[in-house]
Amino acid sequence: MYRGREGQWAFVLHRVTGVAVALFLLLHVIDISLVMFGPEGPFEAFLVFYHNWPFRIGLIMVIAAVVYHGLNGLRIILMDFTTWGVRYQKHMWYGVLGLTTIIGIPVLLKVVPEILRGA
Amino acid sequence: MQITVKIKRFDPEADTRPRWVEYQLDVDPTERVLDVINHIKWELDGSLAFRRSCAHGICGSDAMLINGVNRLACKVLVQDLGNRITVEPIRGLEVKKDLIVDMEPFFDSYRAVLPYFINDEPPPPTERLQSPEERAVFDETTKCILCAACTTSCPVFWTNGSYVGPASIVNAHRFIFDSRDRGTLERLEVLNQSNGLWRCRTAYNCTEACPRDIPVTQAIEEVRRAMLFRG
Ligand code: FES
Repeated sequence: MYRGREGQWAFVLHRVTGVAVALFLLLHVIDISLVMFGPEGPFEAFLVFYHNWPFRIGLIMVIAAVVYHGLNGLRIILMDFTTWGVRYQKHMWYGVLGLTTIIGIPVLLKVVPEILRGA
Repeated sequence: MQITVKIKRFDPEADTRPRWVEYQLDVDPTERVLDVINHIKWELDGSLAFRRSCAHGICGSDAMLINGVNRLACKVLVQDLGNRITVEPIRGLEVKKDLIVDMEPFFDSYRAVLPYFINDEPPPPTERLQSPEERAVFDETTKCILCAACTTSCPVFWTNGSYVGPASIVNAHRFIFDSRDRGTLERLEVLNQSNGLWRCRTAYNCTEACPRDIPVTQAIEEVRRAMLFRG
């Protein structure tokens, strides 16, 4: 493993979250489209299935991935289009991680109790 | 100081894949990695192959992957690495033997960006004058020694060897932003191709690796903006 620093990990995370969100979107399009078989059909079965705790954890991760990918995208835009962005790329990356965590807290507060309650 | 040096070696006549070889030796903490591998070659194992020339960080021949980061062996001290040192050839270029890689693809990309002064206008009776401010614009990118530490630290280059790479963009920057030069359009044409500068994913490994402290990513972004906003 090359011992890169912040920039390398920002790039790796951006790629991983990008692929993850794209795959999730594909799955989402498929399961939503199952509604054409009627409200009681496979669509409903999928919704129930998604309430299992591994998918709840997956939900937290998908939200984190979307938020990280979006915020880091803004960081990249600032690096591309301002003269100062590159100089502050490390600061901005820590900002992205911090904001992703802060935005994730309400998600955790909502979803984690649901998992524990088995709801 | 007792140290262990692990070197990734490859002999094309005997090996099918690279192998790690460990050497134990006693060195002074203020010696450089280049001194250490010289010790190994001269006293322990004469078959070890690597490039070096100036030994003072200016010829650019001894870029290596040292403890997981690209550096010049002649510019890093043992005391800054501790007593376990690993040395590998730089990545993304074909290994010829031990630490020697085929630099030709790297120099091909370098030549592709026309890294020389272009100006067909008739020479003025005196010099082509340039103000200190005009000179300062490309000051950093004049410092490149073509060691390939940046290009071979780039994750994009590892997976796509035809990416023109940070070193070439740095050398294009040096002339694109030279007020006396007139070859900008030709260079941007080369860099605008599919394996050109849009491939950069701003991983910053190049900037961290440069032994001359050139702000490589900054230079890449400046050339990109020149490309976007040229008249
Ligand atoms: S030997 Fe010349 S740069 Fe290191």
